[in-house]
Amino acid sequence: MDADSDVALDILITNVVCVFRTRCHLNLRKIALEGANVIYKRDVGKVLMKLRKPRITATIWSSGKIICTGATSEEEAKFGARRLARCLQKLGFQVIFTDYKVVNVLAVCNMPFEIRLPEFTKNNRPHASYEPELHPAVCYRIKSLRATLQIFSTGSITVTGPNVKAVATAVEQIYPFVFESRKEIL
Amino acid sequence: MACINPVPQLYRSVIEDVIEGVRDLFAEEGIEDQVLKDLKQLWETKVLQSKATEDFFRNSVHSPLFTLQFPHGLQQTLQSSTASLVIPAGRTLPTFTTTELGTSNSSANFNFPGYPIPVPAGVTLQTASGHLYKVNLPIVVTQTPGRTNILQHPIQQVFQQLGQAPVIQTSVPRLNPCFLQAATAKSQRMETVLQQPTVLYPGMIDQKHLEHATGDILVPPGNEHKITSEALLSQPEGPQYVSFPGVVFPSQVSQTNSTIEPMLSASASMIQNLHGRPLSTDSQNSNSQRDLNIQVADEDDDVNEIIQIDGTGDTSYNDEIGSAKDIDENEFLGTVDSGVLKVLEEEADSISNEDSTVNCSDNEDPQVDIVEEDPLNSGDDVSEQDVPDLFDTDNVIVCQYDKIHRSKNKWKFYLKDGIMCFGGRDYVFAKAIGDAEW
Repeated sequence: MDADSDVALDILITNVVCVFRTRCHLNLRKIALEGANVIYKRDVGKVLMKLRKPRITATIWSSGKIICTGATSEEEAKFGARRLARCLQKLGFQVIFTDYKVVNVLAVCNMPFEIRLPEFTKNNRPHASYEPELHPAVCYRIKSLRATLQIFSTGSITVTGPNVKAVATAVEQIYPFVFESRKEIL
Repeated sequence: MACINPVPQLYRSVIEDVIEGVRDLFAEEGIEDQVLKDLKQLWETKVLQSKATEDFFRNSVHSPLFTLQFPHGLQQTLQSSTASLVIPAGRTLPTFTTTELGTSNSSANFNFPGYPIPVPAGVTLQTASGHLYKVNLPIVVTQTPGRTNILQHPIQQVFQQLGQAPVIQTSVPRLNPCFLQAATAKSQRMETVLQQPTVLYPGMIDQKHLEHATGDILVPPGNEHKITSEALLSQPEGPQYVSFPGVVFPSQVSQTNSTIEPMLSASASMIQNLHGRPLSTDSQNSNSQRDLNIQVADEDDDVNEIIQIDGTGDTSYNDEIGSAKDIDENEFLGTVDSGVLKVLEEEADSISNEDSTVNCSDNEDPQVDIVEEDPLNSGDDVSEQDVPDLFDTDNVIVCQYDKIHRSKNKWKFYLKDGIMCFGGRDYVFAKAIGDAEW
């Protein structure tokens, strides 16, 4: 049951979440009135601005904190965030692009085999938690990487981590364990 | 084509309500009632002339109304005056029959049936806008439904060519669905004194029509007075009120005469009395005892271009109000609560003035701990939206919303109580459901 350490698995990054600050107070109402492609959620006090080019949605707070979601790669996320800041700058705010940070990366990966989840959980006691009545997937946490994997019985794995590297490492790490508890087709 | 169009009626009712509502206020403030009347007049004309409702009228079968006052003894004149008809060069005016005139000094309101009306001399016509035209020369008034005719400089040129010094009222060039063309009948000494050259609310006609018309202006041989002017009146009112969209009356003499010298004119004052008996005037027609046969002259090639006189083209206001009509409508809609939604499909521009101030990004900050990783270059790496809003339309919907829903990039709109300005025309709805993809 040796598993290859280098597995040619396609890891698809579906979402990259990043934040940055503008270091200036933003008048949400002005953004809502004058900005293009904006949704003003007055009840929660934020403005959503959607960009087409990198398909991203940004949540803008009046404090100047902006969360940018929907990008498919880290570069794209940065690009989109800068575009967004540029948009705000054009609306008239003294925007400074600071504290840019990728907060979360979400990726999906598909195993070529199915997995026996109860067995997997038993073998990976401290890290894996499985509550089938609550959620059909095993939640596997890798503390060192600060990554979380959700392993489904179909072999599909969803990985979230602080950056793309961590996500890739996590998949590599989990592969042998998952391979152990795979469902063999006769 | 739907016969009943709610939009103009709705607007009219809005106007009525508002005017009535503020009547007391105006009185309290010490403002004359005349001001209120003028306001109403102005409002109505703008609404009716604007592109928003214009098309509806043209398609309807309504005919404008005008009133003629007749002095005594007009019958004879009328008979003889319309004996011969001058056919303008290149355009054939079909013959028309003379009509018996009513009693003297009768004033009658007519629905303008859409075919040329021979107007005998001595008739005073008054447009609802208050311009009086006294017809000393028998003329024929025809209505030409043309497309948004705004007569501006072309007419002025006409007049100047004619050499007269017209008093062209350039109050506001208005869109008018049709203008009238009056052709004088010849055969008599035309002693018309056109006192008031009347290019009031000019309808816009083609240049070629103008030239054409000027060519039509003939001098009666042996006549000292040379008159002809095309007075284009555009009557801004809609059919229900009174409308005599435009009156052009060149005096035309000989039909076969190709060498025409457009001569001048002094002034024709045609007085139209259009006291609005609003709404249908069929009953009055019957009262008039007169029966005019009129014909329509088509102006097909006329202006296709619609020049908007309200909204951005509005000259009534100095400040930057948007369409006056829209503002009025907004006031009427009245409710400025959170449910009012304005869906704009145009880009918000006008921030260009801000660009200069924000152009330089702050590289240095007085505070030490704030370090900008990369200054936002004004366009170097981070370009502006390379697809800025593709469409910069003026199609606007002003309404209230029941629900706006979005899933990913699929939007659903459940709207209510709104007015749409679409392609310049206005549409009103009580409920609207829409789907869109972003």
